[in-house]
Amino acid sequence: MKKYFMFIALVLLSMTLATPSFSAETIKIGALYSVTGYMSSIDTPSLRGAQLAVKIINENGGLLNGRKLELISVDAKTDQKAAALGAKKLLSQGVIAGIGHSDPSFVLPSAPLFQKKGIPFVTSGATLPTLPMMIGDCLFMVPFGDDDQSFAIADYSYNTLGVRNVAVWTDNSMDFTKALSKFYKQRALELGMNIVLEDFFMMGDKDFSAQIARLKNTSPKPDAIFISSIPNEAGLTTKQIRESGMTLPIVSGDGFDTELIVTVPGKELANDVYFSTHTYRADSRPEVTAFVENYTKEYGVAPENAFAPLGYDAVALIADAITRANSAKPKALKESLAKTMGFKAVTGEISYTRASRVPVKGVSIISVKNGNYTVEEIWMPKQ
Amino acid sequence: MDSGYIAQQLVNGLILGSMYALVAIGFSMIYGIVRLINFAHGDIVMIGAFATLAFIETVGLPFPLVALCVFLTCCGVGIVIERVSFRPMRGAPQVTGFIASLGISIMLQNIGILTLSAQPRNFSFPGYMQTILHLGSVSFRIIDLVIFLTAIVLMVTLVLLVKKTKLGIAMRATAENIDVARLMGININHTIMATFAIGSGLAGIAGLMWGGKFGQIDPLMGYVPGLKSFVAAVIGGVGSIPGAILGGFILGLAEVLFVGLLPPIYSSYRDAFVFGTLIVILIILPNGLLGKDLEDRA
Repeated sequence: MKKYFMFIALVLLSMTLATPSFSAETIKIGALYSVTGYMSSIDTPSLRGAQLAVKIINENGGLLNGRKLELISVDAKTDQKAAALGAKKLLSQGVIAGIGHSDPSFVLPSAPLFQKKGIPFVTSGATLPTLPMMIGDCLFMVPFGDDDQSFAIADYSYNTLGVRNVAVWTDNSMDFTKALSKFYKQRALELGMNIVLEDFFMMGDKDFSAQIARLKNTSPKPDAIFISSIPNEAGLTTKQIRESGMTLPIVSGDGFDTELIVTVPGKELANDVYFSTHTYRADSRPEVTAFVENYTKEYGVAPENAFAPLGYDAVALIADAITRANSAKPKALKESLAKTMGFKAVTGEISYTRASRVPVKGVSIISVKNGNYTVEEIWMPKQ
Repeated sequence: MDSGYIAQQLVNGLILGSMYALVAIGFSMIYGIVRLINFAHGDIVMIGAFATLAFIETVGLPFPLVALCVFLTCCGVGIVIERVSFRPMRGAPQVTGFIASLGISIMLQNIGILTLSAQPRNFSFPGYMQTILHLGSVSFRIIDLVIFLTAIVLMVTLVLLVKKTKLGIAMRATAENIDVARLMGININHTIMATFAIGSGLAGIAGLMWGGKFGQIDPLMGYVPGLKSFVAAVIGGVGSIPGAILGGFILGLAEVLFVGLLPPIYSSYRDAFVFGTLIVILIILPNGLLGKDLEDRA
C-alpha cells in the first residue's frame, strides 16, 4: 500500500509542476506522458520506466562528473491541447531534452515546439515512421516504425502461417492503428494475399458481436485475421472471436503485446495468436533481465507492457548521448543522438543509420499457444 | 446476407441491449424521483465491477453472496455521493446537479486510475456461465441469458417497489411535489437517500454483469455505458422504468444492426449514430416512447 501512496504522491507532485531546481548542476529532462485518460494504461508504465532510469543513473553517480538527472513530468491528459501546453511548460523550465508519448497524435502537437527551440525530443512509444521527417532533426524515435512491425507480421503470416486470404480489423480512432493496418495491407498485397474483409471499430468499444457475425459470414473464408488495436481491445477481441467458435489465427502488432490477450479470454482460448513487437517479451538478453528485476523491485509489479522498457530506453538513450558528447547542451546533444550506433537498449539495439532516421531494430514475432508466449523469430529490416 | 446472419445479429443486439437496459434502470429511477441526470451512474457501474473482483478474488465469497455484497457496497457509495454532493444542492436548478454529477464522474474515474492503476484487469466468472448454447444457427452464452433475465426481473421488482410499497408511495409523492410531500409527513431526506441507494445498487449489479460478460474491467469502463444508458433512458422516456428497459433493447438492436447491416466502413461511426439518434429522439419525441408529461412522471 505504501508504494501505491508513494506513487500517487509522486504523480501529484509531478502534476503540480512546482518542481524548483534545487541545484544549477542538475540536467533537466522533460517528460510528457498521459497519466490520466485513455492513454494512461500505456503511458504510465513508460513514465515509470523513465523515472527508474533516472534513479539508476543518479545512484551510479549521475553524468558528466556527478551532475544529477532531473525528470520533470507533465501530464498530457490524453489530450492534444494539454500535450502542447505541457511542452510549453517544460520548455520554459529549461529542459535540455524532452521524452514522451506513445502515439503520434500527441507527438504532433508537442514535438514541433521542441523543434522550434532546437531541443531534442525523444518519443518512447510513437511508431509512425514519417515522424522524424514531419517534425525535423530534433525528433528521435526509440521504437521501430510501424512499417517494420507490420511488414514483419505480414511476412510471417504469409511465409510461416501460410495465410492467403486475410481479414483486417482496424481501430479507426488512432493514427497508430490506422498506420499499422495500412502497412500490413500494403505488404499483404505485395506478397499476393487477398484481403477478403475490412472492418472497423473504435477505441473503447467493448462489444464486437456484430463484426464477428460478419467475419463468420465472409466468403471466401479468411485464413487469418489481422487486428490493429491497442492493448485495451486486444484481450476483448481475442476472447469474443474465440468464444464465437472461430479458431483462425489472430495476428497483430505491438498493441497485442499485453498479458490481457491471455488473462481476458483465459488460457484455453488464448491460442493461435501471433504478434510482432519490440524485442523484449520472452527475451533473455542481460539488459532485459536486469530491467525486469529493477522495475519489479522499484514498483512491486512486473513491467506492465513493452512501454515500460521503452520509457526507460528513452532516458538511457539521452544519457548515452550526453556522455558521448561530453556536454548537456541541446545542440551538442542533438548531434550526438543522431550519431547513435549500436546502443544496447532494453528493447533492442538502436542505430540511426537510415535516411528516415527511424531506428533499425529487430522485431520479435511472438506466438501465444494455450496461454504461453514464445519468441518464434527475430525479423530484421533492410538497412 | 442470409436469415441465419440476421437472426444472429438480432440476438447480438438483444444481448447488448439487455446490458444497456441493466444500466439504464437505475439511471431512469433516479431521474424519475429526484429529477437528476446522474452522469456518475456509469462510474458506479465501474465501482460495482471492481467490488465484484475484490469480493471474488480477495475475499473469496460464493457467487450469490458476491452479488448481494456488490449491491450493498454500491448502495453505500450512492448514499455517500448523495449526502456529500447532491443534498447540499437540493432546490438548486437542475443543471447544477447535472454539472456536479459530471464532476463526480471525472473524479471517480481519476481516483480509480491513481489508486487501482489504469491497467485493465481480467475478470472471470465461473466456467459454467461461459458455456455456449446453440439454437439453430444462432449462438449465445449462458451469461448472456442471465443478463437478459436479470434485467427483466429487476425491472419488474422495481416497478412493484415503486407502485406497491410504502417507500414507493413516498418516492412517487416526493417526485410529484417535494414540499407537499414534506407537509404530508414524508421524510424527504430518507426517501431520496433510499432512491440513490437502490439506483446505485442496481448500477453495481450492472457492473458485475459487464465484468462477467466482457472479461475485462478498468477505471474508465463506466463512462461510455453511462452515456449510452442515458440515451436508452431518453428513448424509453426518462423516469419510466419499463421505458428504460425498452430503450435499452432498442438501442442495443439499433447499434448492432447499424454495424451489421451497413457496409463495414460505417462500423466506426456506431457511437456517432447512437448520439445522433439521441438528438433525433429529443426533437421528435421529447418524452420518449413510454414517458409521460413532465408533471406526473415517476
